[in-house]
Amino acid sequence: MATQKVRQIQLVGRKIRELRKEHKLTQVELSQRLGIQQSDLSRMEQGEYRVSLDTLFRILAEFQMSIGEFFDELAQESITPRDVRLVQQINALPHEAQREVEDFIAFKQAQDRRRGDEPGEPEGDEG
Amino acid sequence: MITETGQIPLEDLMARAHRAIVAGQLAEAETVLDAALGRARESGDRREVDRAFCSRASLAIELGHGDAYIKELREILLRNADHDSCFLAAYGIARAYDFNKSYKKALFYARIARDRAEVLGRREWMASAYNQIGNLLVVDSFFEEACGEYEHALALVPADSEIRRALYEDNLGYCYIVKGRHAEGFRLLFKSYRTLRRLGAIRYAVGPRVSLCFAYLEIGRPRRAFLCGRPALETAEAEGQVEFVKNLLYLLGEAANLQGDVELARSYFSRLQREFYPGAGYLPDFLLAIDVRKLINLKA
Repeated sequence: MATQKVRQIQLVGRKIRELRKEHKLTQVELSQRLGIQQSDLSRMEQGEYRVSLDTLFRILAEFQMSIGEFFDELAQESITPRDVRLVQQINALPHEAQREVEDFIAFKQAQDRRRGDEPGEPEGDEG
Repeated sequence: MITETGQIPLEDLMARAHRAIVAGQLAEAETVLDAALGRARESGDRREVDRAFCSRASLAIELGHGDAYIKELREILLRNADHDSCFLAAYGIARAYDFNKSYKKALFYARIARDRAEVLGRREWMASAYNQIGNLLVVDSFFEEACGEYEHALALVPADSEIRRALYEDNLGYCYIVKGRHAEGFRLLFKSYRTLRRLGAIRYAVGPRVSLCFAYLEIGRPRRAFLCGRPALETAEAEGQVEFVKNLLYLLGEAANLQGDVELARSYFSRLQREFYPGAGYLPDFLLAIDVRKLINLKA
């Protein structure tokens, strides 16, 4: 079992506000859909209101969440659960092992670039 | 004791119902309270009828079928009957609205109950009312205000009501942890848990264990959180405490995740999704990647 702490992204009220705006919903509209008071949603967006698991997951369902939306800078690349898992697994490795993984990725990238220089090479056909 | 007419006096019926409730024989208590209400109506004494009705309604509300009683409880309150009946009516209505998740209405009536209890000067009723108000404020995330109510409740609860005191300590301890008052929160939560364990109140002891599990996560001790939460989950499952099971599956997943045991975390989050949110297949991966603790209220 790996013992290093996994780095998670924290979901906070501000993010709920951003998501609501991205989905072009007013506080009144979203609160009505969720069955909560508009004032409570407003407080939630300001980080002053906490909800039950049921309500939180109703909110996520309302936004039809994909994990990628939480990675602001990478949102356009539509990160999959597999991507997240890989990052977590790498983060859970000791520092030295993480460096080894990075070196291996660099090696594979260089190998791919060399192969790309050879015209007509079929993909994945390494013999 | 039997009256000259061969009937059991009303006070005896009420006492018998109370004993049945304490013993957990709720069906028996309902039967006895129905008889008490009938006896009170025969007597024609309005005060006795109100008190018997409030007791009968309170039990029905706790058993989840109290909606039919709310209208008459409100009438008792509006009629401004004696303070005892008004307290019982207001407290009962607040409980009914609480069960129906109409928290703001519940808070309105809980405050009336507190005012009536204060007029009466009955400490145990005042303690119950303050605790009820605290619970309703917590649901709305008014943690600071809830702390004040719970502190009042703890100051008033009779010394011999150990279980009630322990439950109030859990409530206040959780609020302190949310507010970042960790040392005070831990002290209360441990005190609550030890009391309930000593009294053999296994079912009630799950509450402070859940709070402690959350508290350890808050101070960055996921291993301790896990050790606290795992036996609590076993008890909650055995006792059929569904809301606790749900929260514990989440907290244990979070604790495992923070310890770096992704597979164990996934197993808890997957179970949470399967058993409680079957339509949300994305949840396990979501919870592995996103920490939602700052948005979660375990007492909501």
